[in-house]
Amino acid sequence: MINLSTGAFYERGTRQIGSLRAQAESLQQQIGTGERLERSSDDPVAAARLRMISRNERIATVDTRNSQLAEADLSLTDRTLSSVADLVVRVRELAVQASNATLSDDQRAAIGVEVASLRENLVLLANSRNIAGHSLLGGQTAGAAYADNGGVIQFVGTTEVTPLEIGEGQSVVPGLTGPEIFQFDTANGSKDLFTVLGDLATALKAGGQGGADAGAASLVDLDAGLEKVTTAQTVVGARLNWIDLMSERREANAERVADERSNVGGADIAVTMSRLQETLTVLEATQASFVRLANLSLFSMLR
Amino acid sequence: MASDLLSIAASGARAARGALDVTAQNIANASSDGYVRRSLRIEEVSASGGAGRIGDISLSGARIAEIRRNADSFLQGEVRRTSGDLQRANTELVGLRNMESALEQSGVFTAIVEFEAVLQQLAGDPIDPSRRAAVVAEADTLANKFNITASGFDSVGAGLRFEAEAQVSNANIVGAELARVNLRLTRAGVGSSDRAALLDQRDQLLERLAGFSSITTTFASDGTVAVSLGSNPARSFVQGGAASTLSSATAADGTLSFAVDGQAVTPGSGALAGASLALTELASVRGRLDTIAAGLADAVNNAQAAGVALDGSQGQPLFAGSTAGTLRVAMTDGRGLATAPAGAAAGSRDDANLNALRKSLAGIDPAQQLSGLLFDVSSKVAGRNVTQSALETIASSARVSLEQQSGVDLDAEAANLIRFQQAFQASGRAMQTASDIFDTLLGIGR
Repeated sequence: MINLSTGAFYERGTRQIGSLRAQAESLQQQIGTGERLERSSDDPVAAARLRMISRNERIATVDTRNSQLAEADLSLTDRTLSSVADLVVRVRELAVQASNATLSDDQRAAIGVEVASLRENLVLLANSRNIAGHSLLGGQTAGAAYADNGGVIQFVGTTEVTPLEIGEGQSVVPGLTGPEIFQFDTANGSKDLFTVLGDLATALKAGGQGGADAGAASLVDLDAGLEKVTTAQTVVGARLNWIDLMSERREANAERVADERSNVGGADIAVTMSRLQETLTVLEATQASFVRLANLSLFSMLR
Repeated sequence: MASDLLSIAASGARAARGALDVTAQNIANASSDGYVRRSLRIEEVSASGGAGRIGDISLSGARIAEIRRNADSFLQGEVRRTSGDLQRANTELVGLRNMESALEQSGVFTAIVEFEAVLQQLAGDPIDPSRRAAVVAEADTLANKFNITASGFDSVGAGLRFEAEAQVSNANIVGAELARVNLRLTRAGVGSSDRAALLDQRDQLLERLAGFSSITTTFASDGTVAVSLGSNPARSFVQGGAASTLSSATAADGTLSFAVDGQAVTPGSGALAGASLALTELASVRGRLDTIAAGLADAVNNAQAAGVALDGSQGQPLFAGSTAGTLRVAMTDGRGLATAPAGAAAGSRDDANLNALRKSLAGIDPAQQLSGLLFDVSSKVAGRNVTQSALETIASSARVSLEQQSGVDLDAEAANLIRFQQAFQASGRAMQTASDIFDTLLGIGR
């Protein structure tokens, strides 16, 4: 005969009800937090994946910030280049005007003064600052890009711009250096815009036939300079496009990552709810039947 | 005539009373820990007639022959073995879980990722003072998180050792108690209720001892037990009325070793084995955390030495200390970060050395290493969870089968109560009959 011990009955009952309660509570917690994993050991592989996802997300926020920085610097460079181009076009107009033989020396000298002041403006543009307050066209230097060396404008920056990482191992050079904009080659050899403008101003102010000739002769150099500036603008535009492209990729990636995060670590509410309902039904049934069975004692029959 | 109706009836009533007492005792102890259901063996008392009186009726009633203790020693052995395994798994699991919490909740992984992020942010503008300050602050957080994790591990180890030491002294108390029970068992009468109670006590003590360490038991015919502790080889712990002393010792790396009377012993199963396993795992995890901390500090410091600070001087170490517990930040000012390569001018925006630093960090990848460590610990916890729940099922089914076999069934006791009450009443009726017969005899010749 199997002896149905009272102690064993109660022990089994408490164990079953206890484990059902624990199950229900864990399901409830999953619904409450929306997370399937409470701690890494609930699913070590998924937890490791989630850690790497959150790491990538964190790095991506810095990538976003860095690419915004690069975009701002490149936009500033672009605006500076537009101003330079406008300035060169204006100088070219003045040069054409000055080459007109009907102009008097005084009129030419006045044009020379304007060219000289435009040259000053050009130096200011060349020394403009980026949004962090560093020299925009000076490469990696801490100081200014151009210095006035006794009337000669000299490049004192470095010829390299530090590339900036913008995610997925890609980087972008967030700017241009002075020589890439102002230095160009013509039939007359390597020149820079400052010298061209300086020489033109000096010749116009000097007056005479030399002034009129200088006006005509400088047109070649000015055209070459303008071309260099517009080429630089194209380069900047291409870089801005590249940043846009990478930003789009990053956004798409962020969506994919968020999707993966919910796939790996999120609790499916519908499934979890119905499982909780199932567990609760079983729990209630177990409790009810336990109470009934516990009341079945021969002692209650004894009078 | 060799029979006496009155005394036969009286012996029957006595036996029924004894049976009722035992039933009441069973009911009273229905939920007592370690109580094994008693049952009564009642036997007939009779004598054969003497020479020449073979035909005589010679009956003397009934007597209580034995109070039987319904314990199955195989099931008891199973309960001891399985509960020892469960205790080992429980203790190891608790230790591992605490290690997982110390590693996960200190947020050291997040701090490493954050440190990587601020370094990358610094690349956006290497001479920006606020970005430099952010790197130093984040390095400080990182060092703190490593320290918190290390001290978390320290307290996990201290907790495990404290519990193990308490269990060692408990095991010694249980051993001494077993020796005393052994002595009393040699004096208790066979089949007595005293002996049954002592055997209950003995089995309960053995079960407690099995919760600490694996035990080997040898039972003598008088119920005394000889106990050996551990395995490879087992050391004699209780022999007759004498008990040995279990002791524990802590090694430099925090792991525990045990000895019985100075001779080394391996607990095999039970809570002590669990603590020992958890402490060994803790020592290895700690070692790996120290390696990660030292690797990270070395990579950063070496890169620092290769470059120049903002003022153009050679870079000084960012971190000091070479273990997770001692790691700290030696630099106070962000200007000391060597972002520019050697030979660069003061204030240079060249970030070649910062790139080199980030490359060498990416080479050892401390975040990945720490994630790996966390993965190893958590997958061990997950694995042990499965083992533990399997062992729990095994142990509880062993316990339930023992309870079913040796526990009190109140329904059966209620039936016994009625049965023995009726037996008592019947014996009383027999006495009444004897009295009536006697009266009849007295009434003759009146």
